[in-house]
Amino acid sequence: MALETSPDAPAAVRTIANGIASWINQLGAVWVEGQLTDVSIGRGTTTVFGTLRDTDADISLRFTCNRRVFEAVDPPVTDGSRVLVNAKPNFFARRGTLALAVSEIRHVGIGELLARIERLKQLLAAEGLFAAYRKKPLPFLPHTIGLVCGRDSAAERDVLENAKRRWPAVAFRVEYASVQGPAAAGEVMTALRRLDADEAVEVIVIARGGGSLEDLLPFSDEGLIRAVSKARTPVVSAIGHEPDSPLLDLVADLRASTPTDAAKRIVPDVREELDGVRLLRERGLRAITGWLDRETHALAAIRSRPSLAAPTTDLQRRSDEIAALLDRSRRTLTHRLDRAGDDLAHRLASVRALSPKATLERGYSVLQLADGTAVREVGQVSPGDVLNARVSDGRFDVEVQQDGK
Amino acid sequence: MTADRPEMSYEQAREELVEVVRKLEAGGTTLEESLALWERGEELAATCQQWLDGARKRLAEAQAAHTEKKPD
Repeated sequence: MALETSPDAPAAVRTIANGIASWINQLGAVWVEGQLTDVSIGRGTTTVFGTLRDTDADISLRFTCNRRVFEAVDPPVTDGSRVLVNAKPNFFARRGTLALAVSEIRHVGIGELLARIERLKQLLAAEGLFAAYRKKPLPFLPHTIGLVCGRDSAAERDVLENAKRRWPAVAFRVEYASVQGPAAAGEVMTALRRLDADEAVEVIVIARGGGSLEDLLPFSDEGLIRAVSKARTPVVSAIGHEPDSPLLDLVADLRASTPTDAAKRIVPDVREELDGVRLLRERGLRAITGWLDRETHALAAIRSRPSLAAPTTDLQRRSDEIAALLDRSRRTLTHRLDRAGDDLAHRLASVRALSPKATLERGYSVLQLADGTAVREVGQVSPGDVLNARVSDGRFDVEVQQDGK
Repeated sequence: MTADRPEMSYEQAREELVEVVRKLEAGGTTLEESLALWERGEELAATCQQWLDGARKRLAEAQAAHTEKKPD
């Protein structure tokens, strides 16, 4: 049903509009999944208006829904709810607008959502994205900390304040991103990319306060998870409260339970560290001085030992010994000499007494035979014998002339 | 024995010193030997003292360096 138009025979707006309307209205109803946003229920009207946004892409469609259908959903759907709707596209010729005429709304069940996350988790785990060996160690003292969080969010305050309290000189580079709703995943990824590219940023924290499962859905978004696993800089996930554990927790290099916990884990408490260092230094000093004092005392003790300190005593003892020996030897010597002297004197006296010297001096002489025996009787000699005569001052030979009777 | 760092380690010097003193006190050594022992003892004691003084000096210097560097 091509409409023939030309500049000369233009179609009227209504013709076009009606054409479009009739074509579109031929489309049947479809089941669509999306997220409800800026839902408005006009007072006194029976129609609900709003936007149905794609869960991943930044595309949305207006929708209208009969109020009764809308309010029949239990638990009630609100802004941000993930829903399955049965709707027929409608084109309102008069205003030229298109909207989905919703005839049935269902929650995308929490169970369904969880199941979907679980499936994604298995898939990514199989690919090894969560493998331990991929976890990058965090720097002990990061130069600059990148922070992805909602603008003026509690998470931002928690991370900044706690980190500063522990290390006043900490530097942050904050990239804001919506942390809820369909655009969240995309914005967080952009912020992540920007921080990852910054050389100075040595660790990136993705922080968000608590929220419902749906609120935290973006942090299990496949695109975001893959981006984090490819990031060059270590990533810390600090999403929600302790029990919450979106897939981001598994791919991040460190999972912090809360933004505050993240601050504590990425920045050392400088005061604590300084105390620790000071303590170690003191202990080291005490140990070395203790050792030195002990050794010094030991050395002093050794040096004070008599054999070292007063060697003279030893020498003294030895010289005393010598002196004593000397003394004894002298005494015995003199004693012996004296005795020898006396003995000599006696002997001399007796020699002198026995000695013929005095007699010889009185003119006597002693005659000895050749063999030395003294001549006492004439019979011992015979004429011609040569005898030796000893007089007081010497000796001479004599010959026997005749024997006398 | 160089002036600042004695050849012998502190432990070696100390050990031999104890041995020398033990021998001297045990006696029974000739005069010559005990003199030599005594001289050796003095030398060893000096070595030990040098090691200990050196250590104290280095310690003091290190501490001084530390206090200088302390940021005000």
